[in-house]
Amino acid sequence: MYWVSIVTEAAIFAILALGLDMVWGWAGDFDLAFYGYLALGSYMTMVLTIGKPIPPVSYILGYRLPYPVALLLAVAAVVVFAAAIGAVALRNLREIYFAITTLTAVSAMYLFVENYTPLFDGYNGVYGLVNPGQTLLNLTYNGYRIVFLGIVLVVLALVYLLVSRLSRSPFGRMLRSVREDERAAAAYGRGVFFAKYRAYLFGAALAGLAGGLFAVFVSAFNPSAWTPQELLIIYAAILVGGRGNPLGVMAGVFAVYIGFIELTRFLPAPASRPEFGPALRQVLIGLLIILMLRFRPEGLISERLGRDRGPR
Amino acid sequence: MTTFLISVGIGLATAAILALSALAFTLEYAVSRVANFAHGELLTIGAYAAYSGQRLFHQNVAAAALLAAAAGLLAGLAENAGLIEQFRGRSATTVFIATLGASLVLQNLLEMIYGAANVSYSFTQGGLHHVGPFLWTTSNIEVILSALAVAGLIYLLLQHTRFGKAIRAVSQDRTLAQVSGIPARRVVMGTWALAGAISGFAGFILADTIGTFGPQLGFSFLLLTITATVAGGIGRPYATLGGALLVGLVIEIAGTYSNSAYQLVWAFGLLVLLMLFRPNGLFVRRSATAVRA
Repeated sequence: MYWVSIVTEAAIFAILALGLDMVWGWAGDFDLAFYGYLALGSYMTMVLTIGKPIPPVSYILGYRLPYPVALLLAVAAVVVFAAAIGAVALRNLREIYFAITTLTAVSAMYLFVENYTPLFDGYNGVYGLVNPGQTLLNLTYNGYRIVFLGIVLVVLALVYLLVSRLSRSPFGRMLRSVREDERAAAAYGRGVFFAKYRAYLFGAALAGLAGGLFAVFVSAFNPSAWTPQELLIIYAAILVGGRGNPLGVMAGVFAVYIGFIELTRFLPAPASRPEFGPALRQVLIGLLIILMLRFRPEGLISERLGRDRGPR
Repeated sequence: MTTFLISVGIGLATAAILALSALAFTLEYAVSRVANFAHGELLTIGAYAAYSGQRLFHQNVAAAALLAAAAGLLAGLAENAGLIEQFRGRSATTVFIATLGASLVLQNLLEMIYGAANVSYSFTQGGLHHVGPFLWTTSNIEVILSALAVAGLIYLLLQHTRFGKAIRAVSQDRTLAQVSGIPARRVVMGTWALAGAISGFAGFILADTIGTFGPQLGFSFLLLTITATVAGGIGRPYATLGGALLVGLVIEIAGTYSNSAYQLVWAFGLLVLLMLFRPNGLFVRRSATAVRA
């Protein structure tokens, strides 16, 4: 069951990373708000499925929808939210200005969710989404977890096929031309903002989807689960795998994620200092980011650029 | 009215700390063209150095402050040599991501050394004083006066010394400064040492003002620092002081009249507005379009 759990989590993060790679890898926008979209997807899935809150707990909506419906609605909510942020941030802001603005936005959102209890019960968060459909499918707890892993892997495969098709499509090539030289792309008649905006919304939708799956995986969600720094391991994974290459990104997530969990399991963890292990893990993630950027920024499996086949 | 004046008073103390932090951030940007996300950790390192030193120096505030500045200086030198110079010539975003990684590394190294739990100094805050319309503790007054003194010294240094002139030259154009015979590498190093020392000291007075602190001290102050820097105009040391004053007052006054948990939300809202409408600062006459790629 240990491996089932690890592979499930890695697969969910692979979906997130494929979405993030469209935004950063293809369109070149270093977005720090992205983990907020996974969080929103998780929260929305929760409040749409777990029913009315019992005081003193409080959160919005509180419906009891079937899980797949809730998942779709959650993704829609994330896309609407990202549409608002993207419309503001992508219009004029680029590079570090874009990064700082998105970090600011997600920090404000984080503070708000943490302190404004009527929304998602503040610091305590929402919980109670335990294996939706388990009785319907007549499964044991462990059996359900294995089936869920299967579902996540199927979703990941579908997402991968879609993303790698898009990556080779005219849309994927346009985004890369915008990334490399915005002015040249604009001069050749590409709508720079709208191209970036579409990539941003598509990426956010994948983040929302990952969030909805993550809600089932963890069955409870609160602010300590999504500090904005969590996003850095996803960036590290993309850097390792190969920015802009869907296969590399997916491989990078599995390698980095499982690699780090396995590695840090065997590190010394003094009982008096429970924070030692996780802190060391973060140090290694930071070093990994710096070293990859310094010595191999294209990653282990580098992006395959579309070839100019000449006039036909 | 009294509440208002008290929050203005606290705002001035916050602004003083913010001014130092933003001044250092903007100096780093001026010579290296990098938005240093590992800047907050310079403050944290200073704060922890003073914490380690306070038993050694028998509660001597001045000694603790010097120790904080010295630790910040070394950390600034290390960040420049070990990180920023390694990434010279790379795109702004690449360097930015690298500093983000460095921030993660430093923050968690401090957590491994000092633990995740908050610590606090045992310096006394002193009594309350009415100064004009404001109500300050002794340490508030010390913070404001020392920040003014440091800012004054930096002004003299930048305007009236050869080193200051060299900093200004390098910040205009490093290559051009180099060919005019200015040892650009050494000037950049010196600037980072200076920025580090200012940050270390700022970290100490920040930790002392807040009361307790942990490994996230500097990082959680970073977005405020950036807000102040952008408000003034990034890379422009004097205007930064005005930006710090504005941000300090906005968050303390807004925090007094709304739920104080949302204090930072106000600052973040301000930053987003600045980024959108005045990315080059409030004090430039017309909004130049240089930053728009």
